[in-house]
Amino acid sequence: MSELTRLSRTPPDDLVVDTPREILAFDLAGETYAFPLAAVREILRVPLMTPVPRAPSPILGVISVRGKITTVVDLRRMLRLKGEEPDRRARVLLIDNRTEVVGVLVDRVQQVHHLVPEDVEDAGVVSSDVSDFVLGVGRPRDARGARANDDDIIILLDPTSILRHS
Amino acid sequence: MPDVHDEFLAEVQEIIESLSRDLLLLDQAQKDGHVQPDLVNEVFRGVHTLKGIAGMFGYAQLGSLAHKLEDLLDDLRLGRVTLSQEVLDVLFEGVEGFQRVLAEGREGPEQESDIAPFDEAMEELARQSAPPLEARGALEDFDLDPSVLSVLTEYEEHRLRTNVEDGVALYRLAVRFSLTTIDANLEDLKERARTVAEIITYLPSMEGGEGDSIDLDVLLASRATHAELKTALGEDAELVPILKRARTASLTHHDALAPPKAAPPAPPPGRDHGVDQLSLRSVAHSVRVDIRKLDHLMNVVGELAIVRAAVGRVTDEVRGKPELRHLALELHRVHRGFERRLEELQGGILDVRMVPLGQLFDKLARIVRQVAREHDKEVRLAVTGAETEVDKLIVEELSDPLMHLIRNAIDHGIESPRVRELAGKPPVGTLALNAYPKGNHVVLEIDDDGAGMNERLLVETAVRKKLLTPEAASELSREEILELVFMPGFSTRSSITDLSGRGVGMDVVKTNINRLGGVVDVQSDFGGGTKLTITLPITLAIISSLIVRLGGRRFALPITSVQEAILLDPTKIRSVEGREVLTLRGSTLPLCRLDVLFGLEAQAEAGKRFVVVCAVGTRRLGFVVDALEGQQDIVIKALGPSLSRVRGFAGATDLGDQRVALVLDAPGLIEEMLRSSELVALEAPR
Repeated sequence: MSELTRLSRTPPDDLVVDTPREILAFDLAGETYAFPLAAVREILRVPLMTPVPRAPSPILGVISVRGKITTVVDLRRMLRLKGEEPDRRARVLLIDNRTEVVGVLVDRVQQVHHLVPEDVEDAGVVSSDVSDFVLGVGRPRDARGARANDDDIIILLDPTSILRHS
Repeated sequence: MPDVHDEFLAEVQEIIESLSRDLLLLDQAQKDGHVQPDLVNEVFRGVHTLKGIAGMFGYAQLGSLAHKLEDLLDDLRLGRVTLSQEVLDVLFEGVEGFQRVLAEGREGPEQESDIAPFDEAMEELARQSAPPLEARGALEDFDLDPSVLSVLTEYEEHRLRTNVEDGVALYRLAVRFSLTTIDANLEDLKERARTVAEIITYLPSMEGGEGDSIDLDVLLASRATHAELKTALGEDAELVPILKRARTASLTHHDALAPPKAAPPAPPPGRDHGVDQLSLRSVAHSVRVDIRKLDHLMNVVGELAIVRAAVGRVTDEVRGKPELRHLALELHRVHRGFERRLEELQGGILDVRMVPLGQLFDKLARIVRQVAREHDKEVRLAVTGAETEVDKLIVEELSDPLMHLIRNAIDHGIESPRVRELAGKPPVGTLALNAYPKGNHVVLEIDDDGAGMNERLLVETAVRKKLLTPEAASELSREEILELVFMPGFSTRSSITDLSGRGVGMDVVKTNINRLGGVVDVQSDFGGGTKLTITLPITLAIISSLIVRLGGRRFALPITSVQEAILLDPTKIRSVEGREVLTLRGSTLPLCRLDVLFGLEAQAEAGKRFVVVCAVGTRRLGFVVDALEGQQDIVIKALGPSLSRVRGFAGATDLGDQRVALVLDAPGLIEEMLRSSELVALEAPR
């Protein structure tokens, strides 16, 4: 069994893929995070949001995506991160959490990385606070397949954990 | 994509619905002791058609079920089996079987469903039924030509015998019809004869028939007098009674029902197929449409409404520029035209979505019969307002809650005949199902004359189940006590019966109805019965809304719940038990400060604020808002599952200014605010 399959606790079928695996990396509070590319439906500029009174705290509000009302969540609040507020490079990623498509506010979209199972470590290395949301920690390679700087790590998030239990 | 399979399912569904309607009529007729043969035929034909199309689409199980039922119905119409409650049980079980096969058959024709209950009922009936009675021979007493008798079908002969045995008089009617209009003439004749007589058969007479016309001899059975028959059929009808002949003079006959001189003629065209042709014709005028297509159209209309609003804004802007006066006028005119057509379009689509509640009531009538039989209770169902129209979606969603309420009413409400008699009530309980429109709402009442609710017992149960502290219980008003039945976890019966206790309580019923934008009110008179009143909006698709401003944001409030909006005079606010109230035309109106509830900062212009008075059912509440922005038609869209637990919103809508506006759930908010604080505290220990 590949290491990656073991890592994903309740993996959606389309996420249990063999190598190479594509992920979309983005900035959030100074760190690099990523969602499996298969779960990303769309990337939007930050639209005007309508806050929903009495909604759980990480929820920023709702937007209309071509007529469909979509909930947008603040990943920063969800992961209890601090750091500079997002600027005009901020984007909303539409993520399919297998119950609905939700918007996720991120600071800046980086790029798509290819990962092989050996590039991914168990989620246990990150703090237990956010481990519910984390699939593992990846180390990206550059275009020639060489390991990049050892300091470059990507925290791979579980799309099915976003707003599923709120 | 139009799918043959879907079409088939829809058609079968239609047949099953009409079958169950007819069975209910038959049930009533059997109880009244007067079964119309037409009705049995109608059911027979329905099952026959079902068998045909099931075969065509390869639904073997459906086909074989229909085949068995058809056999039974054939025996019924030929008098080999008498209609009894047991036979009706089998017929109803058969319809249930169809439903089951159909529900599971959505997967495809190969799906096998469990129709064992039907087969068992069928076998049971076969064991019980006595061999058919032999022909009794009374027919020979009548002055009927043997050659006529020889061409009667088995069914016609059976009807003739039955009538003779019942002592119904026989008549012969001679008519002449033009060949070109014979179908219409016959229909007309049947129509006129229906109330006074039964047409046993009609045969072409060989005596007359000049050129394009044909003479028919019609054999009638009737309890009406000769004169009454003449009135119904026309004064100039050639009507001759067929007399009983003296046994000794069996050869004399008053040329009653002259025999055809040639071999038995083929039945006139359209005789056996008249009904099928009729239904084909009616189908040609109607189209079956998938509700999703209508939803899609409604969405398009919603988008158009946004366009209209945008055009309106541009128009206003242009009007502000003196140099564009001419253009502004033109634009204004075009805009108005657009607006009117759009309203028409919207009205048209809404109209198409509306279906009479009768469809649902038929289904419920079946449940009533079934539940009453299972519980050995006698229940008469009295339905009014079956023609009241409601949005198709609401009807669908209403089905389960209503079914549950009706089961409850019979199971817990209506007493057994013996108990009823002891209480001085008629042994047959009455369950009334009333529907009527009321403004933008439809009101549905489920009213039984059963035992009613015991308030003391309700309170005791709530306290025992720790839903209520004894102290809180002592302060409840009568209405609040009755409302206890809607609390989650409340059920007065300890044993869960097969019927009412299917894992859904009244709280689920209430939630489901609230989700449709409706409310349930309960009234009960211990010993005298219980009445549940459901108030629902007529449609969910597009609704007129009042746009209000609150804390710098816009919210939509469906106009269906809005009674009026008034300027708030802060000096008139009083406090009753810690709750702000206003006296409005002599009655007390509780207020809800939405800004406080929602944690928003009020941004009213120089302290000028408004109260929007909302009413749902019998409850009223005044929502305090910052400003009123006007009325607008909106399409409500659902919030995602991630927001399903957030209370107070019915959905969201696009107002055409790039930002989504939340739609307030007035019934839900009223409910939330008016629940007594004790109950809230107990229910939500957060």
